[in-house]
Amino acid sequence: MKQYFKNIYEAIATILVGMGVTWRHLFTRAVTVQYPHVKRELPERSRMQLFVDMDDCIGCMQCQRACPVDCIDIKTIRAGKEEDLGEAGNGTKKKLHVVQFYIDMAKCCYCADCVFPCPTGAIRMTPEYEFITYDRSSLLINFSQYSDEERAALEERERKEKEAQAAAKAARLKAAEEAKKTAAAQKDESKSE
Amino acid sequence: MKKSNFPESQFELQIPDPLRTDEMTLSMGPQHPSTHGVLQVILKTDGEIVNSARPQIGYLHRCFEKHAENITWHQVIPFTDRLDYIASMNNNLGYAIGVERMMNLEVNERAEYLRVIVAELNRIASHLIALGTYGLDIGAFTPFLYVFRDREKILDLFEEICGARLLYNYVWVGGVAYDAPEGWREKVLEFVDYFEPKIKEYNDILTYNKIFIERTANVGVIPADVGISYGVSGPSLRGSGVNFDLRKDDPYSVYDRFEFDVITGKGEMGTIGDTWDRYWVRVAEMYESAKIIRQAAEQLPEGDAKETIPRNIKVPAGEYYMRTETPRGELGYYIISDGGKMPNRVKVRSPAFCNLSVLPAIAPGVMIADLVAIIGSLDIVLGEVDR
Repeated sequence: MKQYFKNIYEAIATILVGMGVTWRHLFTRAVTVQYPHVKRELPERSRMQLFVDMDDCIGCMQCQRACPVDCIDIKTIRAGKEEDLGEAGNGTKKKLHVVQFYIDMAKCCYCADCVFPCPTGAIRMTPEYEFITYDRSSLLINFSQYSDEERAALEERERKEKEAQAAAKAARLKAAEEAKKTAAAQKDESKSE
Repeated sequence: MKKSNFPESQFELQIPDPLRTDEMTLSMGPQHPSTHGVLQVILKTDGEIVNSARPQIGYLHRCFEKHAENITWHQVIPFTDRLDYIASMNNNLGYAIGVERMMNLEVNERAEYLRVIVAELNRIASHLIALGTYGLDIGAFTPFLYVFRDREKILDLFEEICGARLLYNYVWVGGVAYDAPEGWREKVLEFVDYFEPKIKEYNDILTYNKIFIERTANVGVIPADVGISYGVSGPSLRGSGVNFDLRKDDPYSVYDRFEFDVITGKGEMGTIGDTWDRYWVRVAEMYESAKIIRQAAEQLPEGDAKETIPRNIKVPAGEYYMRTETPRGELGYYIISDGGKMPNRVKVRSPAFCNLSVLPAIAPGVMIADLVAIIGSLDIVLGEVDR
């Protein structure tokens, strides 16, 4: 019986102690932020959306190799000998047309492993976090500055170059083979003589 | 004489016992608020008493171990984040130290101290969640909001040092991803000063509450021998009075330079090894973690934290088992290398999985509501149970 009332007393007493804590909290400042109206400033290291500065990108594909989830897809085309694509921010000469630079933010795991290997600092994480869309395909961002026509033209040129190279190589091989044949024939002739 | 429906039948006629009651099979989960994720527990109950409990796992299986065989040594680290997503830093740390020991790599002093600071901060954050959600399981809602307020401060510190709030990818093989920004050390010390008095608040509001004690004391007792034989580790084992903490018993990183105590359950409110003891070990461990953080932040040496990060990780062929103390217990990485660019095998000994395995042994005979308290006190994270 005594224990029964003691238990009741203890329960009420400890609840009152707990309520004292909440009572004190009534007079402290709120720690929450009314989000859409008030926005907290994020530190500069925040890893939110990826951004690529294409003026600096040299198309070395280091970020694509570093990505653990393969969310970066780059395609490059070699520049011609007389073409000058300019320089990246740190003075590295650009030698490749970056005709495609897809980053799929839906696949991205925000690990920032692509940021560290970049030799020119072109790819980086930004504190920009509001990129919700209704359509998943709009999370696939193409950072390349080349239009479809330019890309098609470059691809056509590359294809032709490759064909020309292949033809030249074939011709070289054929010539070499014929030279061999004639040499062999001459040898035969000299032997028979 | 044989009673039978048919004279020639071989089956006996069974007359049902009018007083016999059936066991009810109850499926608790996978979408149950007190299972802390997608855990399903198949209960055989007799009224309100549990006769047997069988955890069904695998709802969150993501093939971490197989996946690790197909990515480079460094790329595994973001995936270790996702094992125990509440204490990612501790998960990174175990893998990084394992690979470093295979490579015989000495790590920069500053990086080691930063690692200890972030790992202990994350231990506090993880224990805070354990406290808050345990209160929710028992029926106390207010502490949950208070612990999340303080956890938020730790996440802000993490955001400042590595840019992420949940999955950090911070502890790398050979160092840390970023050096601490200007003024970060002072902020950590400020946080510790702010945080230590707050633990008293949790004690006032939850720990010593009579109703909470009545619900948790003498419930779900794990005797020390049962705990050890089931491979329970971490606060769940220390609650049973076993002094086992890898930070003391098998020191890694620079833990041997700090002074702290290993907290074990004393059975203050009931039996040694009950749910209150496990809860109390977590509360008291936050004090100890705060102690370690203060010492580490005060001794933080100058230097370049990224100095010893190798350009290419070349791991010689061999195998290594690295175990570290995470907030949940002994996290082991069994790493096999064939000398190539990728790990040959990364096996994870996950503490949450082993802690959960003790549930069928202690569940029989408890009430269903007490089973909720037991699961909460084991502090499982399903991301780590299923990997």
